[in-house]
Amino acid sequence: MDAYIQQIIVMTGINLIAVLGLSILTGFTGLFSFGHAGFMAIGSYIAAICTARLPQILQTQFGLHLEPMAAFALAVVAGALAAGVVSWLIGMLTLKLKGDYFCIATMGFGEAVRIILNNIPYVGGARGWESLPKLTSIWLVLGLDVLFVVITWNLINSRQGRNMVAVREEELAAQMSGIDVYRHKMTALIVSAIFAGVAGALMANYIQFIRPTMFNMARSTDLTIMVIFGGLGSISGTILGTILLTWLPEVFRNFAQWRLVVYGLAVIVIMVGRPQGLVGGMELTPSGIRKAMTARNARKRFKEVGDDAGGQK
Amino acid sequence: MSDTPILELKGLTKRFGGLTAVGDVSFKVSEGGISGLIGPNGAGKTTIFNLITGVYKVTAGEVLYRGNPIHNREPYQIADAGVTRTFQNIRLFKNLSAFDNVYTACHTSAQYGIVEALCRLPRFRREERALKEKTRGLLEIMGLSDRADVMANNLPYGLQRRLEITRALALDPKLLLLDEPAAGMNPDETLNLMKLIGEIRDRFKLSVLVIEHHMDLIMGVCEHIHVLNFGCTLADGSPEQVAGDPRVVDAYLGVEEE
Amino acid sequence: MNQFLQQLVNGLSIGSIYALMAVGYSLVYSIMNFSNFAHGSVIMLGAYFGFFALTLLGLPFALAFFVAASGTALFAVALERLAYKPLRDRKAPFLYFIITAMGASIFIDNSVIATIGPTPKTFPQASLPSFLRSGSVEIGSLNVGRVDIAMFVITAICLAALVLFIDKTKMGKAIQATAYNMKASALMGINPGFVIILVFAIGGALAGVAGVLYGMKYQVYPQMSSITMKSFIAAVFGGLGSLPGALLGSVLLALIETFVSGYVSTQLRDLFAFGILIAMLVIRPQGIMGKSMEDKA
Ligand SMILES: Nc1ncnc2c1ncn2[C@@H]1O[C@H](COP(=O)(O)OP(=O)(O)OP(=O)(O)O)[C@@H](O)[C@H]1O
Ligand SMILES: [Mg+2]
Repeated sequence: MDAYIQQIIVMTGINLIAVLGLSILTGFTGLFSFGHAGFMAIGSYIAAICTARLPQILQTQFGLHLEPMAAFALAVVAGALAAGVVSWLIGMLTLKLKGDYFCIATMGFGEAVRIILNNIPYVGGARGWESLPKLTSIWLVLGLDVLFVVITWNLINSRQGRNMVAVREEELAAQMSGIDVYRHKMTALIVSAIFAGVAGALMANYIQFIRPTMFNMARSTDLTIMVIFGGLGSISGTILGTILLTWLPEVFRNFAQWRLVVYGLAVIVIMVGRPQGLVGGMELTPSGIRKAMTARNARKRFKEVGDDAGGQK
Repeated sequence: MSDTPILELKGLTKRFGGLTAVGDVSFKVSEGGISGLIGPNGAGKTTIFNLITGVYKVTAGEVLYRGNPIHNREPYQIADAGVTRTFQNIRLFKNLSAFDNVYTACHTSAQYGIVEALCRLPRFRREERALKEKTRGLLEIMGLSDRADVMANNLPYGLQRRLEITRALALDPKLLLLDEPAAGMNPDETLNLMKLIGEIRDRFKLSVLVIEHHMDLIMGVCEHIHVLNFGCTLADGSPEQVAGDPRVVDAYLGVEEE
Repeated sequence: MNQFLQQLVNGLSIGSIYALMAVGYSLVYSIMNFSNFAHGSVIMLGAYFGFFALTLLGLPFALAFFVAASGTALFAVALERLAYKPLRDRKAPFLYFIITAMGASIFIDNSVIATIGPTPKTFPQASLPSFLRSGSVEIGSLNVGRVDIAMFVITAICLAALVLFIDKTKMGKAIQATAYNMKASALMGINPGFVIILVFAIGGALAGVAGVLYGMKYQVYPQMSSITMKSFIAAVFGGLGSLPGALLGSVLLALIETFVSGYVSTQLRDLFAFGILIAMLVIRPQGIMGKSMEDKA
């Protein structure tokens, strides 16, 4: 396969994992984060330590040999766990607050992570960290994509997932329906952070170079834009949005400086005119389409009857 | 009917800054009964619902549910314990179908954990099937079956109120709080609603506390009525007693019926 | 002691800029209950408006200020009409406002990068009146930059005008009433749509002034969001929705920042700012002067 095409596929696959997580958080639970690149950064740097430093440390200090692939497996798990634990701490501090303050706190978190990394020479500081081992392969990424899509799908189509959607739709009514809003927000946050951590770990060991500025707020908003493009509350939309927004810039390289202009405008237009995004609130599966069709038909049918009679049976 | 009331308010007080929205209100809702809570606009009725359901923290006093204090619990715990409600200004999960609104609220009937859900273990499948059955049954009873697929937002107003009640019933409550369920309904619809409230009480074996401005509804279905004015108790008794109380007529009925 | 005073002066100078910016966040929040993250981009536009009014159009200094302030006021109102009003009309959830604000901010910043370019621009000294050219004044043993003095004075005038406007005029009282209770004030004949436009116009105008001042002291560049972000933190710190809070938060944050970079380390300055933000959110989310309210159910 063409190396260039392969690279785009891998980057799409890695993005998809992070964006799926954000889709759970923003699209399904209705929480907005300005700082998810921070969780990716944690995943990346922890993974880099596991793959680039840990084997030597074990070798010289303890005389142990750690296979690169074993180190890599450890890296992905450790990166995901670290991101998850940090998100849990952030969540404990801020998820009881109103939505606005959660956004603000995630912004503070994302920026804080970046500044801290800038000041740790051990991981390269602001200049970044080069020549990490290349361990991520296209097949691994595609395999993980399938796994994460299935996880997301199963989560959303469970009572836990439905409760998250209820929190998004109407927080107070969700509480009055016996839903522990705080716990479900927390679950969504931790899951999304874990996804971001995995994506970060895979990325560090693919592009072999990480630097704090790669995880700035623009990166966070880029990920969110992919969710919005595809449509809040749709897994197939998230997949479509990620593929489209990772490929389009490659196709239109000559217009690189206009990319974000168009994205920004598109976000406004989508929010104002078509908040359901590309595929909007439905799933592009046979049963999903059927469901959307019956909803539309049902609505039409009752419109025609000119109904408002209170619907006695 | 047992002796302990399903709900008892003792000296319930709520202040917002300088405003006393509810001042030292005490009353009981008897097990299996339908009680009414009435009063002019701003009397503090909705605030009392918010105190019972834990949305607001009480300033003073107690809320006893089956004899146990619940006013320090989280709202979701109170709902889980068997007190559910509807809202004065409808709060459905707007972008979900009628079916999904109820399906979501059935969640307390399932026990499976998140790992079982992610791995689609047998218990998950079994319980999900049961939830769907339960949802269909509820929609059937409430006459919403043919609208199951309609997005809540697109339902006509009367059916939205009905769906909200259905959603509240999905938690198998023992006490149902209805906040102005007939608001915006015409006399016909109100009559239907009256019948429905009685049916619900009998079928689901629960107690009902209803806030209403429609006097015919209150007088028609309630066995006991509590009247509020400016956050304080004005009268308490059977519909006949309350309707005959001159203070009530003065403060409320007189104004309401112009 | 001398160094301490010097830091104090620097802190006050930066604090005054923060305040001018923070007021815009706070005003909008007090009425609409959401943080208008696009405000930072409007400030950046103000800096460019002022820069081009001086250099391209060759306008006199005071007029350039006026052009920048009216330009950003108009822009902020247009943004409200085109992007936020449809959401309000639809009663869209809070999430949509935040996302739209983010989109607007990305759009504005990158439009400037794509058309004007990312290179920073410096206000040409010749175009500035003499009291603003670089150089400093000796006050006792202190060296105070002339720009700093001007910044402080202009900010003080603007904020004093704002306070007078809010406290003494009918329109200002309408803003206060709407911030207190939109529904009730609407019933009393105050048009909420008008108040919202007013608030965006005022916030926008002050953003223009702040942008020009900042551009004069430092430079004009498309990614000024790091500084505007600080002013937002200041607004949160003081209490979103409270004007005195925005002022107090700005001055405190700026003082803390200058002292941290003076006595501890410049690198840690931003970390301190974000640390303060998170600590504040945890300990007292409504900020120093904000009031906490139980949401109406
Ligand atoms: N969150 C709150 N903050 C401040 N004041 C409140 C709050 N909730 C209610 N109030 C005030 O408490 C008083 C009682 O309000 P409540 O909504 O309980 O009245 P109500 O009896 O339900 O009236 P209505 O018939 O109009 O629904 C009112 O003056 C209201 O403004
Ligand atoms: Mg009420």
